[in-house]
Amino acid sequence: MPRVQDVPSIPPAGRADDGGALPPVLDVQDLKTFFPTDAGTVRAVNGVSFAVREGETLAIVGESGSGKSVTGLTIMRLLGRAGAQIAGGEIWLTRGDGNRVDLARLADADMERLRGSEIAMIFQDPMSSLNPVFPVGEQIAEPLRLHKGLSRRAARAAAVELLALVGLSDPARQVDAFPHQLSGGMRQRIMIAIALACEPRLLIADEPTTALDVTVQAQIIALLRALQARRRMAMIFVTHDLHLVGDVADRVAVMYASQVVEEGPVADVLATPAHPYTRALLACVPRQQRGEKRRRMTPIPGTMPSALAVPSGCRFHPRCAHAAARCIEAVPALEAIAPDRRARCVRWREIGP
Amino acid sequence: MTAAAEPLLAVRGITKHFAAKGPPVRAVQDVSFEIGRGEVLGVVGESGCGKSTLGRLVLRLVEPTTGTVAFDGTELMALAAAELRRFRRHMQMIFQDPFASLNPRMTVGEALAEPVRFHDGLGRAAARDRAAALLAQVGLGAEHLDRYPRAFSGGQRQRIAIARALATAPRFLVADEAVSALDVSIQAEVVNLLKSLQETFGLALMFISHDLSVVEAISDRAMVLYLGRVMEIAPIDDLYSRPAHPYTLALLQAAPGGGKRGGDRLILKGEIPSPSAPPSGCVFRTRCPFALADCARDIPRLTAVRPGHLKACIRDDLTL
Repeated sequence: MPRVQDVPSIPPAGRADDGGALPPVLDVQDLKTFFPTDAGTVRAVNGVSFAVREGETLAIVGESGSGKSVTGLTIMRLLGRAGAQIAGGEIWLTRGDGNRVDLARLADADMERLRGSEIAMIFQDPMSSLNPVFPVGEQIAEPLRLHKGLSRRAARAAAVELLALVGLSDPARQVDAFPHQLSGGMRQRIMIAIALACEPRLLIADEPTTALDVTVQAQIIALLRALQARRRMAMIFVTHDLHLVGDVADRVAVMYASQVVEEGPVADVLATPAHPYTRALLACVPRQQRGEKRRRMTPIPGTMPSALAVPSGCRFHPRCAHAAARCIEAVPALEAIAPDRRARCVRWREIGP
Repeated sequence: MTAAAEPLLAVRGITKHFAAKGPPVRAVQDVSFEIGRGEVLGVVGESGCGKSTLGRLVLRLVEPTTGTVAFDGTELMALAAAELRRFRRHMQMIFQDPFASLNPRMTVGEALAEPVRFHDGLGRAAARDRAAALLAQVGLGAEHLDRYPRAFSGGQRQRIAIARALATAPRFLVADEAVSALDVSIQAEVVNLLKSLQETFGLALMFISHDLSVVEAISDRAMVLYLGRVMEIAPIDDLYSRPAHPYTLALLQAAPGGGKRGGDRLILKGEIPSPSAPPSGCVFRTRCPFALADCARDIPRLTAVRPGHLKACIRDDLTL
């Protein structure tokens, strides 16, 4: 097992646990991720908080530029390339041994040991994450050899088992296949096998089905849910598709312009969205039940603000049908609107469900 | 058939095989359909179903292996190259990536003026006025005329691509995944723009998309393709509320939020076979939960379930 030393592993007091229950697998508090650019500092993630429990899926949903993907990359500490920095906040991971570590302050080498073993990530494009010159079996075996110290033979046997687990037919043969010989759906299954090889406590899936056909997307979603139920893994599912959220997640956090604007159980948020942005997003692509009259798509007026020039007060106010003078004055807090729900809107009571 | 009822576009038995190493890729196989004047036909299907090839075939941007396309009575396959070029003013296309179809070194004004100068022989000043009018039609001001494509957002670029397609006052537009790359809030904006232009100018539209909810929002009728063949074609409300082909049902249930969560959703096994080696008989039978031995024998014909609602499936006993 990897060992993590010299890191604060006692959580600060006063954390919002519902007394006696297990601590969440991941507890993100006031996270800030900033990118320095020539034009100024881009605050890609600005004060984001959420928690994910064992066996639970949290969907993070938003449009391009909302900060949803950067949130996932920040938790994985995969920010290197663009010069992004964690500018504040805490990312508490409860490890398999029960100790908690703050990923925001973990040394690179320690993070390296956690990545792939306790937390893993899958991406939209499996082809760019798979190495084209190695058979897929070797790529599945690699984390097992690295983190679990398995022998070459044992790792290969485990890879065959994992391929069966993710639903590949003829795994004993496919283990020697190269990525280019596989379809997009099969490649995503391989990525899931690699991510799950070391039985991580948390899986971050960033638009894992966006590039797939809908019938294959339905297969991958069913697979992820089955595997998650079996392993009691926590999952963060990052997506632009609010309707997909209903198929995959237990809870949802809606992001707009680097902040969470609404959070709660999926069924409640979809049925009675409290924040005007969540409502507007749902109205963009209405879903109707069989026999129901056809509804027109309703666009959101205006455009997503530039990350370099966010509006004062509520960031959604320039596009919001319910905006009032006080929406411009101060940034609204993400306040509790029901025992298990939060919304960042000062007018949520007046505008009704 | 009276002149008024004659369709704008009549496609008969169109087939396209692309040569490849090994057996040819059967992209489109014996597809026939019509689009009425001012009608929106949605074309849905997954990758490899032939929907993009079909869009290019009906504009004769690729040559069919066999089959014919008649546009308002004119047989497209009979036109010589120069005639076809002139004829194209009646039929235009917009694509998924507007940036790829706009020349980065041409200002928006120049890009919009080019087709009207070519087709209508307008002078420079008149063409610029027409370009400004086109921008206004898609909700953009004349101040954008001298800007380059890179200065615009994705949604704005798609508006410009639409303006350019409208420059020659076409009667028919093929939109190939025209909103697929856009954020949902901008998707709605562009779909509504297309719909209002279609209503204003009486444009006929072939709207190709993998996204069933967008197709539902804009189409009068829709056609479902699988491995190059038509599975089902029906008026939009009828297709979505009473699908008659197992593949259509699977597509509708697989769509996000389209089915019930949990086990009672129809999830297809496997993936789409290669169009180089499509299954015998019904091309969908290898993934169909209702397939019988007979399904491997004959290619099912499109038959009417109800007036205007056709399906290519021999199972008439299913309640989907």
